[in-house]
Amino acid sequence: MSWVQLGGSIAAILVLAGVARLLRLGESRIANKAQARQLAEEMLAGFEAHDALVSRDGGAALVAGNGAFAVLKRHGAQVAARRLIAPLYLKTAVEGVTVATGERLFGDVTLLDVVESDVRGLEASLTRV
Amino acid sequence: MDLRHLATINPVNYAVPGFVALVFAEMLVAWARDKRRYEPKDTLTSLALGTGSTVAGAITAGLLYGLATWLYQFRVFTIPYTWYWFVACFVLDDFAYYLFHRSAHRVRWFWASHVIHHSSQHYNLSTALRQTWTGFISIAFIFRLPLFFIGFPPAMVFFVGGINLIYQFWIHTEVIGRMPRWFEGVMNTPSHHRVHHATNPRYLDKNYAGVFIVWDRMLGTFTPELDEDAPRYGIVKNLGSFNLIWAAFHEWAGIAKDVWAAPGWRAKLGYMWMPPGWSHDGSRDTSETIKANWEAREHARKERAWKKPISSSSGEDRVARPRPDGSAKAVHTA
Repeated sequence: MSWVQLGGSIAAILVLAGVARLLRLGESRIANKAQARQLAEEMLAGFEAHDALVSRDGGAALVAGNGAFAVLKRHGAQVAARRLIAPLYLKTAVEGVTVATGERLFGDVTLLDVVESDVRGLEASLTRV
Repeated sequence: MDLRHLATINPVNYAVPGFVALVFAEMLVAWARDKRRYEPKDTLTSLALGTGSTVAGAITAGLLYGLATWLYQFRVFTIPYTWYWFVACFVLDDFAYYLFHRSAHRVRWFWASHVIHHSSQHYNLSTALRQTWTGFISIAFIFRLPLFFIGFPPAMVFFVGGINLIYQFWIHTEVIGRMPRWFEGVMNTPSHHRVHHATNPRYLDKNYAGVFIVWDRMLGTFTPELDEDAPRYGIVKNLGSFNLIWAAFHEWAGIAKDVWAAPGWRAKLGYMWMPPGWSHDGSRDTSETIKANWEAREHARKERAWKKPISSSSGEDRVARPRPDGSAKAVHTA
């Protein structure tokens, strides 16, 4: 591999990524509770979803299931998920509540227009099912 | 005719402009049909990983070629550079690829290198270029070594390997549905390879082929794509991050962590050589346990559906003639 090839490859990468941005590719959102439940069941083996809280912007959701939670976050045009168990570690944010995942690279997940009591209510529902 | 000069070419170098043009064309199709098929950060990650892989390959290419040439001196036959030997080499190299690829999904050490290619949750032509940086460390090249022992010249083997890589580019797309039946029967296609990249339990660890799908059909690892079970791409535990370094090394970091904490040598070796997801205490999911649980749930769901009354003759007869004691008794008509 020559330096010209390497330079050409890097230039091509930047151009293609720029084109993808220019065409506004990759836009998506978690539309509602039903979709959040379905996504959680599809992404986490053996997870059976019961109830969910969805962020106002569709960028995240918290789903209660069989003995655990699924925290979902928009990742590109797709959704990434993690399984969490109670008690959830929450931080109050100005516009909602942030759920700590314990993974630095996955990051914490903020649910807009959701308050701590909503999450605690969902948490309590786990013990009722 | 001696085609020795042909084998000195690296066909991938000539294909790169075509790769770029086709990714651009596929982006336009995504823009017109479904904008979720591409995502700028994901594309950037895939292409940067591809470039990194080329750099890593260039660094180790000399060592690999040296090893191949050294082994070639112990060859059983001396195979000439005639066109039909190129064809034979291509077919055998593709079988070696099948074996490598199957191992890359069944042995965690090999998976740690190969997982990069599966770490995107998107499936488009840029995903094809998302390649490993650590292929040399994972010793994936051992699957090709028998070809040199047989007597295929190293230059010929690396040339057909390049052609194989180019073939596999176009199958990473959702734009093409199904190819003609005869083609789907023999060749690896976008449909077959979508299955391979899917995380749906039904599709896990299937369709390992590079060019010829017949290897999967012959060795029991083939499964067709079903319209009612659309593939969901990525890995069982998706990264949730576009960090390049994490994408390239996360499974190696996982191995190191597990080996460090494992009780005893048996467990330490298990975390390197057993299938991905294996754990010494059985607390994690492997593709087998995911499939088994899914099959059990599907079976239970079908059982419930089977037992559920679906007609007036299988359910309670609400208009049954009243019995003398006042209760109703269903009248079954067999």
